[in-house]
Amino acid sequence: MLSRIAESFFWLGRYVERAEATARLLAEHHQLLVEDQSIPEATGCSVLLEALSLPNNDVSTAQELVRVVVGSELDPSTIAGAVSAARANARAIRDSLSQDTFEALNSAHLALSRGIAFTSSPGVALHRVLERLLVVNGVVDWTMPRDEAYHFMVLGRELERIDMVGRLLAIRHDLLWPSSGPAAALRAAGALSPFLRSGKPINGLDVRRFLVLDATFPRSMRSCAADAEDAVRGLQRQGVSDSSLLLREVGMLRSELEYARIPAVNDIEKFIDEAREASQRAGDEVNRSFFRQHGTIVWSH
Amino acid sequence: MTVTPFDEMLLDGGRPRTTHAAMFETLDGLGAAGLSERARQRDAYLDRHGITFTLGERERPLPMDLVPRLITSGEWQRIEAGVIQRLHALEAFLADIYGPGQVLADGLIPRSLVTTSTHFHRQAWGIETPNNVRIHVSGIDLIRDEAGDFRVLEDNLRNPSGVSYVLENRRTLAHVLPEVFTHHRVRSVSEYPERLLDALRAAAPTDIAYPTVVVLTPGVHNSAHYEHAFLARHMGVELVEGRDLYCRDNTVWMRTTSGPEPVHVIYRRIDDDFLDPVHLRPDSVLGIPGVINAARAGRVTIANAIGNGVADDKAVYPYVPALIRYYLNEEPILPNVDTYDLSDPEQREWVLGRLDRMVVKPSDASGGYGLVMGPWATDEQLAQAAVDIVAHPRGWIAQPVVTFSTCPTVLEDGRMAPRHVDLRPFAVNDGTNVYVLPGGLSRVALPEGSLVVNSSQGGGSKDTWVIDDGSADDRHAVTEAPEPTAGAAVPWPVTVVPKRDNSPTSHDDRIVQQERQQQQSEAPQGSISC
Repeated sequence: MLSRIAESFFWLGRYVERAEATARLLAEHHQLLVEDQSIPEATGCSVLLEALSLPNNDVSTAQELVRVVVGSELDPSTIAGAVSAARANARAIRDSLSQDTFEALNSAHLALSRGIAFTSSPGVALHRVLERLLVVNGVVDWTMPRDEAYHFMVLGRELERIDMVGRLLAIRHDLLWPSSGPAAALRAAGALSPFLRSGKPINGLDVRRFLVLDATFPRSMRSCAADAEDAVRGLQRQGVSDSSLLLREVGMLRSELEYARIPAVNDIEKFIDEAREASQRAGDEVNRSFFRQHGTIVWSH
Repeated sequence: MTVTPFDEMLLDGGRPRTTHAAMFETLDGLGAAGLSERARQRDAYLDRHGITFTLGERERPLPMDLVPRLITSGEWQRIEAGVIQRLHALEAFLADIYGPGQVLADGLIPRSLVTTSTHFHRQAWGIETPNNVRIHVSGIDLIRDEAGDFRVLEDNLRNPSGVSYVLENRRTLAHVLPEVFTHHRVRSVSEYPERLLDALRAAAPTDIAYPTVVVLTPGVHNSAHYEHAFLARHMGVELVEGRDLYCRDNTVWMRTTSGPEPVHVIYRRIDDDFLDPVHLRPDSVLGIPGVINAARAGRVTIANAIGNGVADDKAVYPYVPALIRYYLNEEPILPNVDTYDLSDPEQREWVLGRLDRMVVKPSDASGGYGLVMGPWATDEQLAQAAVDIVAHPRGWIAQPVVTFSTCPTVLEDGRMAPRHVDLRPFAVNDGTNVYVLPGGLSRVALPEGSLVVNSSQGGGSKDTWVIDDGSADDRHAVTEAPEPTAGAAVPWPVTVVPKRDNSPTSHDDRIVQQERQQQQSEAPQGSISC
C-alpha cells in the first residue's frame, strides 16, 4: 500500500483517539473543578493545559478552560483540532474508507466546526462530541477489513492511547484532589466501573497501577502495548517492509508491563515515563520504517 | 394555613439571605428560559444514565430540582451532633430490648408498646452483633419548623433509601448547571460508598480477616433497585438475590461459576419479613432459609440487623427524647415534633375532637402510605380515620400539622416558586465512629402547598450542600481541605510532559496551497516532503 495512505490511516487512528480521550478528560476534569474546590480553580486549569501541551494564557475559570481545550481547528492538540486533523486524513484516503466511517467522522467534525452550543453546559456539549466519536470507533470496528490499513490505524490508536493515559496520569488528580481525584481519573479513562469490580479500594496508588498495569482493561498502558504489538505482527503477516525495530520497541514495552512486579510508589512513575518514551520511540520508528524510509528522495529547496 | 413557613433562601420581601445571595443572582441571571433549557438537559441526563426509581410498573427519573439547598456549616454541626446522639440512644435501646430489657423493667416505655410493634421480632432476641452495631445505616428525617429550627420527624432504621440520589444529584447538577457552584465551597459526598464498605467490613464476624460483603436486593422490580445496583457497583461488591445464596452448616454461601463461596456480611435491602422463610414469612421466595440461625451462630452479619423496626415505630418515637436522657444522660440536641399517643384515652379523645387539624400516620408504615392530612382530607376520610383509630389505637399516631420550611423550586415553565422540603441525613455506624454524609437527601413536595415529600407520593429531590462558610464553632472540625488562596501560585506536583507528535502532512501549507492550484488536474501523488 502507498506510504502516504498508510500514514493517513495511522494518523486517523491517532487523532480520533486523541479527540476522544481529550474530550473525556476535559469533561471529567471540568466536573471535578466544579464539584471540588479544594484547590484554586486557576491551578486546576493550568495542570490540565500543561498535561495537554496547550498554552496557558491566564486561564482561570473552568468555563474558559473548556473553550481553550475544545479549541480550534488549527491546533491538533485541542479537540476540534484533532477531529479536524482526523477528518483531513480521512479525506485523503476516502476511497479506502468505508462510507459509514467517513460519514461518522464528518458529522463529528461538522458538529464541532459549527461550534459547540455553549448555551448548554460544557458537560452536556462534550457528551455530544464524545457520542459521535464513539460512533466512528463503532463503525470502524464492524466495517473495516482486518487488512494492512486497519493494522496501521490500530497501531496509531494504541500508541496515542498510551500517550493519553500518560498525560492523564501526569495531572496527579490523586494529589491535588485527594478525596475525589482518584475516582475522577478513573472516570476520565472510562475505568471507574472496571476498577471497582476489581474490589480494590480507590486510592491514588492503586488507581495508577490499574491504569498502567491492568491485564484486562483495554485502556491500561499494558493492554495498549499488547494491542500495538498485535498490530505490528499483523502488519508483518501482511508482508510490510522490515519492522523488526518497531516490533522490538512495542514488544519490550509490553513484556516489561506484563511481567512487572507490583510496583511501589516510585516505580509506578518510572513505568509511566518509560511507557510514554517507548510509545514515542515506536512512533518515530513507524515513521522511519514505513513512511519516510531511508533512501527516499526528498525534494527540498 | 395561617402560619408562614420558614423560607430558606428568601427573607420576607423577597430578598435573598446573605448566604444565598450569590446563588440567587446566578439563577436570576439565567432567567426562566435559561432554567427551562437546563431542566431539559437535566431530564436528558437522568434518562440517559438510567437514574430512576420504579413506581408501580413504571421506571422514572427521580425529579431533581435545579436549585440546590444550602446548609451552613454551623447548622450542619448541630444536625450532625443531634443525629449521632440519637443513634447512640437508639442503638442502646435495641441492644437493651433484644437483650436484658432493663428499659422495660424500669418502666420507661410500656412493655406492651414494644411487644405489639409489628417490627419487633422475637426471633432476633439474643442475637449478638460482632461490633455491637445494629443500625449500620440510618436515615433520620428532619424538618425545619416555622422558626427555622431543625426537628426530627421520624426515624428510619431499617432500609432507608435515597443515598444514591444524593450522589447522583451532585454529579447531575455539576453537569448541567456548573455556574451555581462558583461561589461556594461545598463539602463532598463522594466518599459515601467507601465509608459504607468500611462499616460493613467492620461488622463482619470477628474471626474473618478478609470478609466478603454482598448487597442483597429483592430484584429488578423493586422500587429502589437502581440504588441497590449503585451501591454494589460503587463498593465493588456482588449484588445478589436470595436465590444466589444458601445456608449450610450455619454458613451462608454464594453460588458462583467457580463453586460455592462463603459470605460474611449481607447488606440486605429486603424487609425483615422476607429475609428468612424458616423463621419469618414462610412464603417468602426472596430470602435465604436459615440465615437467621447463621447470624445467631455468629457466622454472618445481617446489616441492618433484624428487628430494628421496633425502634423506628412511630409509636415509640415520642419516647426517644426520654431514651436519650435514659441511656446517655444528655439533653436531646434535635427536638421531636409534638406527637399524641392514641393508646392514651385522654389524648385520643382530644385528638379525635380536632382531627381536621392533625396529621394521622400509621405507626408501622413508611413511604407516606396511609397518611391522613387533616386540613386537606375529605369528611369521609376523616370519619374513616376516626373509626380506624378507635378500632386500633396502637396502630396510629397523631401530630399537629407542622408547616415545614420552603425552598425556591423551578416549575415546569422555568419560574421559581417556594416548595416544602425535608431532609434525610444518612449516617453510617462502623462501631467506632458514626459518619454522617454531609447534606443528605432533601425531598421536595412538588405540588403547590403540599407537605408530602415521599418519592412514592410524587416528591422530588434537591442537591443539598453543606457549605464551609465559617459559621461552625470549630472550623477544623468541619473542614480539612486547605483554604484556597485565589490567584496565588500554589505548588503542585511537577510532571514533565513531552512535546506532542503531530502528523506532518496535514498541516503542510505548501501542499495545501499547491493542491488547491491544481483544481483542474489530478492531485500530484509524488513523495514531496519536508
